[in-house]
Amino acid sequence: MDESIAAPVSSPSAWAAFGDEIWQGRVRVEQVGSTNVLHCAVDKLAALCERLMSSGEHMFATLVVEDEGAQLLLTYVFYPVKGGAFTHVVIRQPISKLHVPSIAATVPAADWHEREAADLFGLAFDGHPRLGAFVLHDGWPESAQPMRREFDIHDRTSVPSRRDVPEPNRSLDAPGSFSMPVGPVFSDLAESAHFRIETLGEDVSRIAVRFFYKYRAVEKLAEGQPLDRVLLLAERFSGAAAFAHGLAFCQAVEDIAHVTVPARAMVLRAILAELERLRSHAATITGICNSTALAVATSQAAMIEEDLLRLSAFVTGHRYLFGMLTPGGLAIDLPDELCRQTAAQAEMIARHMARLHRLLRQSSSFLDRLEEVGATSSAAAALLGLVGPVARASGVARDIRALFPYAAYREYPPQVPIEMQGDGYARLRVFFREAAESAALMARLAARIPDGAVSLADIALCQGAALGAVEAPLGAAFHWVRLGADGRVLRYHITPPSFANWPGFQFAAEEFAFQDFPIILATFGLSNAECDR
Amino acid sequence: MNAIQISLVAYFVLAAAGAIAAMLVSAERNPPVLAALGAASSVALIAAGGTGLVADTPATFAAWQFLPFGTIRFGVDPLSALFVLITGAVALPVSIFSCAYLRRYQEEYSLGYFGLLYHLFLAAIVLVLLTRDVFSFLVAWELMSVLSYLLVTYESNRDDAAQAAFVMLAMSEAGMILAAGALLLLANGAGSTDFAAIRTSAQGLDPGIRWAVFLLSFIGFAVKAGLVPVNSWLPRAHPVAPTNVSALLSAVMVNLGIYGIVLVNLRLMPPSGTVPGAMMLAVGSVSALIGILYATIESDLKRLLAHSTIENMGIVAAVLGAAMVFLADGDDLPAALALVAALYHLTNHSLYKALLFTGTGAAQTGSGTRDLDRMGGLIRGMPATTLFFLVGSLAISALPPFNGFVSEWLVLQTILRSVVIASKPLRLIFALSGALLALTAGLAITCFVKVFAMGFLGIPRSREAARASEAPVAMRVAMGLFAAACFLLGILPTYMIPILDHVVRELGGSSATAALVPPFFQVGVGGGHGLSAAFVSDFHAIGAQAGKELIPGRGLVVLLRGGASNPVVFAISPAYSVVVFPILLGLVFAIFRLLTRGRRVARRAVWAGGLAHFAPALTYTATGFANPVRVIFQAVLRPTVNEQTIEEMPAFFRPAVRRELREIHVVDRLLLGPAAMCLRGLGNTLRRMHSGSVNLYAVYVLATLLVAFAIWAGIR
Amino acid sequence: MTQWVWEGLTSGIRTTRYPAREERAPGVSPGRPRARQGHEASRNAVASGCPTDAITAGEDGSSIDYRHCVHCFRCSRTTSPAVDWESGYEWAAESEMARVAHRLGHFFRRSLNIRFVDAGACGACMGEVRQVNNPYYNMHRLGFFLTPTPRNADILLVAGPVTLPMQQALRDTYEAMPPPKRVVAMGVCALSGGVFGRGAAVAGGLNDVLPVDVMIPGCPPPPLAILHGLLVAVERKPPQPLISLSGGPSR
Repeated sequence: MDESIAAPVSSPSAWAAFGDEIWQGRVRVEQVGSTNVLHCAVDKLAALCERLMSSGEHMFATLVVEDEGAQLLLTYVFYPVKGGAFTHVVIRQPISKLHVPSIAATVPAADWHEREAADLFGLAFDGHPRLGAFVLHDGWPESAQPMRREFDIHDRTSVPSRRDVPEPNRSLDAPGSFSMPVGPVFSDLAESAHFRIETLGEDVSRIAVRFFYKYRAVEKLAEGQPLDRVLLLAERFSGAAAFAHGLAFCQAVEDIAHVTVPARAMVLRAILAELERLRSHAATITGICNSTALAVATSQAAMIEEDLLRLSAFVTGHRYLFGMLTPGGLAIDLPDELCRQTAAQAEMIARHMARLHRLLRQSSSFLDRLEEVGATSSAAAALLGLVGPVARASGVARDIRALFPYAAYREYPPQVPIEMQGDGYARLRVFFREAAESAALMARLAARIPDGAVSLADIALCQGAALGAVEAPLGAAFHWVRLGADGRVLRYHITPPSFANWPGFQFAAEEFAFQDFPIILATFGLSNAECDR
Repeated sequence: MNAIQISLVAYFVLAAAGAIAAMLVSAERNPPVLAALGAASSVALIAAGGTGLVADTPATFAAWQFLPFGTIRFGVDPLSALFVLITGAVALPVSIFSCAYLRRYQEEYSLGYFGLLYHLFLAAIVLVLLTRDVFSFLVAWELMSVLSYLLVTYESNRDDAAQAAFVMLAMSEAGMILAAGALLLLANGAGSTDFAAIRTSAQGLDPGIRWAVFLLSFIGFAVKAGLVPVNSWLPRAHPVAPTNVSALLSAVMVNLGIYGIVLVNLRLMPPSGTVPGAMMLAVGSVSALIGILYATIESDLKRLLAHSTIENMGIVAAVLGAAMVFLADGDDLPAALALVAALYHLTNHSLYKALLFTGTGAAQTGSGTRDLDRMGGLIRGMPATTLFFLVGSLAISALPPFNGFVSEWLVLQTILRSVVIASKPLRLIFALSGALLALTAGLAITCFVKVFAMGFLGIPRSREAARASEAPVAMRVAMGLFAAACFLLGILPTYMIPILDHVVRELGGSSATAALVPPFFQVGVGGGHGLSAAFVSDFHAIGAQAGKELIPGRGLVVLLRGGASNPVVFAISPAYSVVVFPILLGLVFAIFRLLTRGRRVARRAVWAGGLAHFAPALTYTATGFANPVRVIFQAVLRPTVNEQTIEEMPAFFRPAVRRELREIHVVDRLLLGPAAMCLRGLGNTLRRMHSGSVNLYAVYVLATLLVAFAIWAGIR
Repeated sequence: MTQWVWEGLTSGIRTTRYPAREERAPGVSPGRPRARQGHEASRNAVASGCPTDAITAGEDGSSIDYRHCVHCFRCSRTTSPAVDWESGYEWAAESEMARVAHRLGHFFRRSLNIRFVDAGACGACMGEVRQVNNPYYNMHRLGFFLTPTPRNADILLVAGPVTLPMQQALRDTYEAMPPPKRVVAMGVCALSGGVFGRGAAVAGGLNDVLPVDVMIPGCPPPPLAILHGLLVAVERKPPQPLISLSGGPSR
């Protein structure tokens, strides 16, 4: 980005409007590789973002804040919903003036991103009504801004002081209303999070969430670390989607280094990614069956999940595919025969899943609890920027594999299933259909594996930044990596699908009967480890 | 002068002294003076009522010729004596309670004025009960209504008091007009205003007139009793009235509505057809259900108790209706049973409702609130109040060993006696009413579990509740007296039933004592009661006579005999339950201790899922507890939701909303509202006639004259 | 509903025979490195560049601290490995304190109630602990039960590097449990912080927050390792050493 400052793009007519006439020279358009970078004056930010969103062609991906010492660099990443080039809106704010206009009012998907940046960088997003008490909890030192350069994450001395976090806002003010607290320690095997079910008794009107109980400051830990070390973090911050996140990180690094991994690695990566998707969806289906207390189905789904875990370990040595990736390819090669066996095994397991799906479809008591529960409209899904199977169940068919093909997906495009109802049952159907497609795709991939090396011998690391985009099992994952001159990571920003989708849960879980709460939760299938980082 | 007269004279003298003293003494000394004279006069009332009740012969002890209204008579019969007794029994502790309660008004209002009204109000009630002719009855009734209105508006600085009291007065007057119509029809038929004369001539009345009398008196007096659909004043008046007045309204004054119904439809004009009774049964059951439904979803403790009064009066009216059906059908024994149940329940309701109102007053004094959603945890600051309130809650939930259990049990047993009725439609009405009453009993438990748990247990939901301190001694004494009465009436029905039997015999002819508390439990009595000797001796063996030697009476078992095939229809002995339950509880406790011996009990903070800050806002509220009922009965309650956003931000941030849930009472919605609308429309139409034009007025005069002539000509 | 009964009955018994018999199915465990003897191994250990410093050079061979090993396979995939790779899953170890004073004794040999707390675990530990409850491993047959409230719990099972907000929640949970109670830490994160280390955001191991009795290493520990840990907690299985030294198993 630094070395390739180009003249303002004038030829593509779509960008003409960003020229001087309207924006009075306050927006400068630049093409970096295939990315459109719009350098923007702070006062034009909101208008520019609104303009980008108004056409309906762009979706907000993530907000990356980077501390450059004297100033903060804010990159608002948008992606075209029909594929093509990413658009980065870049603004710079001196460290002395940490006020930025909030774009959340026009780009609702940016809401949580701004709240996160506000907590971690001490940025004030003017006009955002709900800043504070988001990432940082009781126990964090007063006025700590962990992502700022001067904050030492390894220093434990300042920890014991307690900030007095105010009670979460009650969003329902009615005589006799109260909040039912759920968590952070749940009564079953759920991840730590806190839900406040605002109710008058029985009927729930709203759910207030308090997350980041699992905030491990992964992005901060990555700073200054060598790639190999950061890869461990990328795999392990969300072990259930380790391969996808590791892959996104590796792709970003490969992009910076301007290298292309060997064709064999491309195919093997796709096979393993689909194996992970299959297993993750099996786990989500287990959760959905469990939430409706359908014991036999839960057991069946859990056995399918365990079969896939064993298959993963059989193929790669690790049940969660840890340690398979390396920038430039894969850490070890897998024999073609093994891959074909794996794909065959996966197809057999997929048949078990299809049978389970058929049985579930015939259980009216099960369907009664899922249908019309936690419905998300197509418009809401688009507005909130939902991703992955949850968005696809609401008719928003965004799949990074199809929009920005990576690994072997260009040659082997997946079929992206889509459902329109947006309710719990639609989400279940999407999970089942995607799982079936993953197994089929594995078979297609394993049928013709190119020969050759599985990894580049060596990668010449260079300075720069790139965005790795991967369709993780739960949806689009965006990993922003900036490498320093020494090849170490300067900034690592992860936008996991769970982070994008939790607001969707909050919207779907409104005005419902209390007993549907676990079902809505399970059909979203979200992970707090992934969201909280 | 006999004992009754002496007691009554003593009462009126003491009440007058109370009223005069209230005007004379300083505000500081007013509460104790009111308490002392109120208590003393109440003792006189209890004496008068007690002696009048057991005297068995109606006494008329004053009669003045008062033209043109005929002879004015005063007297006592067992029926009115029972109500006098209840009035005294409630007024005694309430007077003591007032001593502490009135302190709150010392700064703002005149306590002398309150004392005056208080004594006059009670005296007016007694007067209503003593009158023995139509004219004085109506005058005393009117006096009572006006005085109750003045008492309800005592807190004149409240904005809501005037409107609530106006509804009360308006409804009371409307009811009074209907009731007066009934009494005047009776007087017209008898040619005399004297009750005794009316009673002797009522049998010969035209059926149409009888119907009119029933309908007018039932609707008219139902207003005072608070039966659906003429109940609207009750939940409005109680919350605005001072709590001691609320206690008197709910525990004494509403009884007079029942008194009026019984007086006209049983005493003056014994029933001849079954339909009026069946109507009362149906109306009573519906009242009971509607009453408890609204009580269950209510969070204002006083309004909740007011709704519960509607429920209890509904139960009483339902059983009275059953009694009328049985009487008209010629089933004297079930009729006696029904009357016992009705009067027992009436007595019990007076006692536990007064206990709950005084308990509410005490809780409000201690914690500063009577909103259940803001109470909670009062058991720590107010243990004695909590205990007494628990007694009241158990009693009103009809749980042993308290009085509500006995009477409600008798009520349900009575409804089951409908098997003796031949008519199928009637039996259907009995069955449906029984189902409604059973549902009511279940909801009553839900309701008072909510009241007790949300009000007194858990953690305080407001700062005031957290600072709650124990109520003054006078309040605790008052509540203690009521609680003791609830307990005694709960365990000694075998002593209460013979007392009530005096009234029953007067109204229905048959003796309930002989039926319910058969003499065979008395030592040395055997045979002739239709039971085998072996059966009786078995009952003796299990101690059915315990206490017999200590207190004169008929043992401790209430038992209804059936025929030869079914010797015992039902039998209970709450007195034994008092002995057996503690033994069983002790046994359980002993086993528990045995199993856990050597273990140490550690107290830890509430487990709230590892939450850092646990707050009262995270615990169930009374509204939340009752919400399932609200949801189930949505069709009846029809809550309207008024929602507005209270935060300025785009909708997808989900700004906070303020939501108001309003339930317009089903009666107000379907009846009172439309009625008020019609009246207003009529008023507007009539107002248009007042155009101010002289010519138009001349036309009115001419038209009136013409109509008058036409009528005159027609009569000629 | 009958279809589910049929489905359940026709699935057959899939449950492992462990601990009565060793489970030999492929893929039940990723295995782990074992210290290798010899000077060459000692030299390789220095050069292995173990990213979490789990492998160190001993006097005569390598030494592996399982509290740090995250199964990254870096050590086993070099041309000059410092370790051997062993299969197996009986990994749980006892803490010093547990060995000295914290015997649960015979009371819980037949029935044990477990309260699980997620202290920042990634999805992998969560997935494995969920599997323990499922047909393949079915911990109920061993008398292990999950309990919804700490009030009934005998064992506190914790995964994750113990994030800041969960520290107080963990103490509260432990406090809410009636004695006798024991703490089992599962996963490398709960033992040492794993890849997250120690810092302002994570305590870097449960030991700083609660007294740990049984430690189950692994990233993540497979279901059988978790079962082994629970069996160790009730003394139905012997504990394993936490550090692999060349020259045989010892601490």
